[in-house]
Amino acid sequence: MESYKTIEDRILVLESLSLGYDKVIYSNINAHANSSEMIAIVGANGIGKSSLLKSISGINTYPSGKIKVLNSCVENYPAGRLAQQVSFVPSQSPRAKNLSVFDMVATSCYNRTNWLGTLRKRDWELITSTLALVGLEGFENRDSSGLSDGEFQRAAIARSLVQNSRIILMDEPTAFLDIANRIHITKLLKNITREENKTIIFSTHDLLQALKLCDKIWVMGHSGFYEGTPNDLIERGAFDMMFKDSSLKFDRELFTFI
Amino acid sequence: MRTKRSYIKEYSVIFVSLVIIITINLILGSILLPFKDIVSAFTGTDTPQYIKDIIFTFRIPKVITALLAGAALSVCGLQMQTLFRNPLADPFILGISSGAGLGVALLVMGFSAFGISLSSSLFSTIGIATSAWLGALSVTLIILMVSARFRDSISLLIFGIMLGSVVGAVISLLQYFSSSSALKVFVLWTMGSFAGLSQTQIWVMFILILTGMAMSLYSIKDLNALLMGESYAKSLGVNLERTRRRILIATTLLAGSVTAFCGPIGFIGIAVPHIARMLFRNADHKVLMPATALLGASIMVFADTVAQLPGQSGVIPINTVSALIGVPVILFVILKNRFI
Repeated sequence: MESYKTIEDRILVLESLSLGYDKVIYSNINAHANSSEMIAIVGANGIGKSSLLKSISGINTYPSGKIKVLNSCVENYPAGRLAQQVSFVPSQSPRAKNLSVFDMVATSCYNRTNWLGTLRKRDWELITSTLALVGLEGFENRDSSGLSDGEFQRAAIARSLVQNSRIILMDEPTAFLDIANRIHITKLLKNITREENKTIIFSTHDLLQALKLCDKIWVMGHSGFYEGTPNDLIERGAFDMMFKDSSLKFDRELFTFI
Repeated sequence: MRTKRSYIKEYSVIFVSLVIIITINLILGSILLPFKDIVSAFTGTDTPQYIKDIIFTFRIPKVITALLAGAALSVCGLQMQTLFRNPLADPFILGISSGAGLGVALLVMGFSAFGISLSSSLFSTIGIATSAWLGALSVTLIILMVSARFRDSISLLIFGIMLGSVVGAVISLLQYFSSSSALKVFVLWTMGSFAGLSQTQIWVMFILILTGMAMSLYSIKDLNALLMGESYAKSLGVNLERTRRRILIATTLLAGSVTAFCGPIGFIGIAVPHIARMLFRNADHKVLMPATALLGASIMVFADTVAQLPGQSGVIPINTVSALIGVPVILFVILKNRFI
């Protein structure tokens, strides 16, 4: 499947990318993403998964290397333009009291609205239909700060779908959810990549889910960065290099560490 | 399909009460003026000259000043609370009132050091307003210069509070070495007053506040994006640095001007945005900003009505009243249900 995709299909390319603000925390990342792919980023705590996502979405700067979205570097995009291609869902968005679910999702129309942020009819309909898509029909007037973690995560996903970017970056979308919500959200993400033609890149600690559902995995290992399909990475033993502690070995049958 | 909730009812209730409060403010004072005299003073039918004088030279300018100050401080407080995501942020949190205070202290106490007394001449009012404004502006300029270095607004907040403390310390030092008459002028300024502004001064204040309001309206969309955190706002394409700069300049124009002409008026800036959130139950700044301005104007005129002690010849400082109104509201709203 990979073979008959041309270079033009690569909507995101990372070239010898380093991460960090004052000092380099991770270096030499080479990876790419195609359209409608679901990619998981795995790695130890503090290795730089969030930094990578924030660098791609233009929130953080990076010391060296290149991040190309649709063949042009992210730092060359004017502020609002990058947001049309890349949206970001933080791991835990701060919640604003009294902000209705509708208004929360509507903020993502930032780049399409006038100076006052007035919604057009088309955006209005898009927000309503997107809320239905993520399973929050009838939640429009609910106070977003009173939602459960699972519902709030759905609203955040709706927000980034309404932003209408081709790439959606999510920082640990399932970290604070129970098992049922975790499965629902992951399935929802999988559907979105297929049906809405989006590329979703998310960080996670749930390796089992990542191996089962994702087209590709980016492993931010202790000794180096690996990119590949789940099977390919298992073959190459990439997961054995994930942690500094070499006594943790990846079991190829159980899909987990022992 | 969601229908957009209209707030016409709430707005008209606030507007009507504003008109009532203004009328009461014009009636009450050291002399009680009958309502029909106030009406006839405006319609131009025969009214005694002294009543016209009281209304047009004293009471109307004072009401206008209070309206402007209340709206400006409240809108300013709303922006600070959203920008810093802090329910206790007020217009002066970045040290603008300390800066204005330092300007006034330098003027008043500096003159007294040379043996010149600044009691109540016309020069002193204009001089105090100008030096207060320059003081507020210099604090903002310092903060603007360093703000680009900070990655998040919380560092900026800490810097602002620290700067305010340093300036406050310098003011204390000046007070310690100043004469008692100069000290009195300074202390009177810190108590706040809406009275005694000339027509020109009110026009200057009006234009400065109007500019600040226009900039605040332009920030509505950015403020809404900032409700869900700075990194999300940044990923949407909000230019954080430019937004922060615009809000800071608006703050100087709004709070700086009020402080310059009326003194540092506390509590209104913290309390009113919370009252607006409590009444409107909406976080959208398109709804909150006009509501805050209207409510702030009403509450400020109300505070002024109380401060002029109806039927008495004296007045009590406006800051005493605003604290008595503001503190219970802050305690009730913030402790009961935090909205930020």
